[in-house]
Amino acid sequence: MEINDKNPVEKDELTGDKLLSGHDYDNIRELDNKLPKWWVWLFIITIVYAVVYLLVFDVFRIAPHQEAEYANEMAAVASLAPAPQAMVFDTLMVPLTDQPALDAGKAIFDKNCVVCHKTQGQGLVGPNLTDNYSIHGCRFIDAVNVIATGVPEKGMISWKTQLTKEQIIQVASYTMTLRGTNPPDPKAPQGDPCK
Amino acid sequence: MENQNFYYDNKTVKFFAYATLFWGVIGMVVGLLLALQFIWPQLTFGIPYTTFGRIRPIHTNAVIFAFVGNGMFTGIYYSLQRLCKARMFSDILSKIHFWGWQLIIVAAALTFAFGFTTGKEYAELEWPIDILVAVIWIVFGWNMIGTIIKRRTRHIYVAIWFYLATFVTVAVLHVANSIEIPVTFFKSYIVYAGVQDALVQWWYGHNAVAFFLTTPFLGLMYYYLPKAANRPIYSYRLSIVHFWALIFLYIWAGPHHLIYSALPNWAQSLGVVFSVMLIAPSWGGMVNGLLTLRGAWDKVREDPVLKFMVVAVTAYGMSTFEGPMMSTKTVNAISHFTDWTVGHAHIGALGWNGFMTFAVLYWLIPRIFRTNLYSKKMANTHFWIGTLGIIFYAVPLYWGAITQFLMWKEFTAEGFLKYPNFLETVTQLRPMYAARAIGGGLYIVGVVMGVYNLILTIRQGDFLAEEAASAPALEPVSGKRAAGEGAHRWLERRPVQFTIFALLAILIGGIIEIVPLYLIKTNIPTIASVKPYTPLELQGRDIYVREGCYTCHSQEVRPFRSETERYGQYSKAGEYVYDHPFQWGSKRNGPDLSREGVVNGKQYKPNSWHYNHMLNPQKLNAQSIMPVYKWLIADDLDMSTTAKKIRVMQMLGVPYPAGFDKTANDVLLQQASLISADLKTQGIDCAPNKEIIAVIAYLQRLGVDIHSAGLSAASASENPVK
Repeated sequence: MEINDKNPVEKDELTGDKLLSGHDYDNIRELDNKLPKWWVWLFIITIVYAVVYLLVFDVFRIAPHQEAEYANEMAAVASLAPAPQAMVFDTLMVPLTDQPALDAGKAIFDKNCVVCHKTQGQGLVGPNLTDNYSIHGCRFIDAVNVIATGVPEKGMISWKTQLTKEQIIQVASYTMTLRGTNPPDPKAPQGDPCK
Repeated sequence: MENQNFYYDNKTVKFFAYATLFWGVIGMVVGLLLALQFIWPQLTFGIPYTTFGRIRPIHTNAVIFAFVGNGMFTGIYYSLQRLCKARMFSDILSKIHFWGWQLIIVAAALTFAFGFTTGKEYAELEWPIDILVAVIWIVFGWNMIGTIIKRRTRHIYVAIWFYLATFVTVAVLHVANSIEIPVTFFKSYIVYAGVQDALVQWWYGHNAVAFFLTTPFLGLMYYYLPKAANRPIYSYRLSIVHFWALIFLYIWAGPHHLIYSALPNWAQSLGVVFSVMLIAPSWGGMVNGLLTLRGAWDKVREDPVLKFMVVAVTAYGMSTFEGPMMSTKTVNAISHFTDWTVGHAHIGALGWNGFMTFAVLYWLIPRIFRTNLYSKKMANTHFWIGTLGIIFYAVPLYWGAITQFLMWKEFTAEGFLKYPNFLETVTQLRPMYAARAIGGGLYIVGVVMGVYNLILTIRQGDFLAEEAASAPALEPVSGKRAAGEGAHRWLERRPVQFTIFALLAILIGGIIEIVPLYLIKTNIPTIASVKPYTPLELQGRDIYVREGCYTCHSQEVRPFRSETERYGQYSKAGEYVYDHPFQWGSKRNGPDLSREGVVNGKQYKPNSWHYNHMLNPQKLNAQSIMPVYKWLIADDLDMSTTAKKIRVMQMLGVPYPAGFDKTANDVLLQQASLISADLKTQGIDCAPNKEIIAVIAYLQRLGVDIHSAGLSAASASENPVK
């Protein structure tokens, strides 16, 4: 167990591999095996990957960085997408009354609106939708406009970037069916009474 | 030379082993409580001390630093003495190390429960405890290096190389990531801001994994695996190559936690490539461990110790392959912020660290108690239940992660997000969370069996505190390389030089990545419209940090259409220049909040919504898994700290006008009154001096500055569809 480790060659009985002489640590011995070839190749491949990666992304800048990647993603969508929907609504429009449309409206309501207007439209952060009062007008088109463009200063966000024109009409129609339903725990009336 | 007689100190080993078991159970039970809060969000009992945000750091710190930490010390104190043929350098240092470490753990658990935190993952301890950690860590290193210097063996074994690398690197990481300016005894601000803080934090965070959970455990593997199998180490050469490659490469990989963030691209690229280059060096350890078992696989079938080791080493191999994959942009784009990260972390923690710790304990406790393991059958049962537990833990999380990123990224034909409501993507995962809790529960059942088995072993045993040993003293030889002596062989008998080389190897990567962020201005382009927080917002932000909101909410919108559609424009480096600490988070259990205050944005909510939401989240969203925060509404804001906070921020370079600290509280109350008055219009009575007002002020500020800067340009480029 000295510096030069010059002892006769010893072999591991089970595998026949050469034991390193002088390598004995609390009876733990070490074998003189070479590095596994596949392991060396794995290491070399990852190093080559690293060099190529840095050359491509950061030295020659052949591949896009994240900002350019984002711009490409958005550009691809812009060219594929249908023409922007005109969010213009007919002022004299009437609420939908067919059941599938109302069901679709309810689904949209349950997903997006209950967080402020509560599950039955009785209001909490947002106004009560079931009473006969309204802050922004009582006509159907008023409800549609509030949903589409929002009232940001009061916390009602604009939904025209998240819902289609059709969906907005559906959910607005659904809210009209809530009027006069008298659910429990209603929020006090806000705005002006509707005639 | 004549033989010298001496005694190994087994008492310190025993103490560390007891602490390992004790903290292991506690840390894992807290983890289970966290898992159950995903199913029953109000399992916080409505009190602050058990909310998710506060106990999550208790879980992570208890498991990493208390369970794995004490386990590491148990294994090191036993093996180091025997590998050096010497008693520990100083019994007093051993005592200080042991009790000091336990004191740190107790202090950590208490302060986290009370909300004293720096808000940096795995480094949440406040400054007085940070100092204590540094002192106790140096005591450990001193004791270890002292032992190595007075050793009776010529060369230091590979296990000790790993122990030394652990000591120097953790010391460097901990100190560099904890440079804070105190405000009070329990509150400080980190000197780094925003992107710089993120980089330093993840340089630390990633290498806490590398040098606290990996290198010491590789050292333990190199001692206990050949011992338990009674086989020679497969390849000494592989030990050398994978050791140096591992410690040199590991330190660079931190930025892979920040892929597709506001971190400069060159730093992200380094994070990617160094992570990929880590596969082979990491697998070097696995290969050397598994090939050491050649000719001894029949023993693996018999011996629970070897079974635990084989699964531990395999789990290590799996997570060190998965980690580099998750570091590539392709995978990271979908895995980041999901439960994939959590699953990955637990393969490492439960498989590699947990199983290796129990392997060491099952091997070592019967030896120092001069008996056999009480029940081999029970240990085998522990092994199978634990293995099943890992699978039941990880598989649902992987499944959930895939589900969630698919939902996050799905668009309708009209160009809208298919699931615009973030909550839908969480509700979908709740069965997975239940399955995860069962998996974690199984693992704990196994651990409890292990503890019971070891207690009975201890009770039937006869403890040997002072174990007699003898070895010849080391003859002095020349420090120069002898003829025919290999360079590394020479280094192995020069432990101080060895330590210095290891230190140099780990300093290079850190310096090259971190220093340019300070010296080269273009790395963090400033944004003129980004202004310092008002005093009220600053106080609100500190409450946000205190409550650990970052454990569930990110503040980092990534440059993907699916993110900018959901949240608003993607995050820029210049937004964060006044953020001490940064709060980007690493997991979204709730939505990103960095655009919360943008009035025209999709995330905006009025003040009254925030008030109601903190009071009772489930009233607004029946499916929400957010805990209640009633105390924010009941408690008064501590305004006595405002002036000092402003002064510390000025010291850190935040451009508040001179003398602003004196009027800061007036400004604070003015802003608070406006919010209070607004709530009043919604029928909510809330005095301006309540904590909730400050939190609302902070939330309503998020994203506002950058939005006002590039409103038209941003909205034009980000909404091409509409």
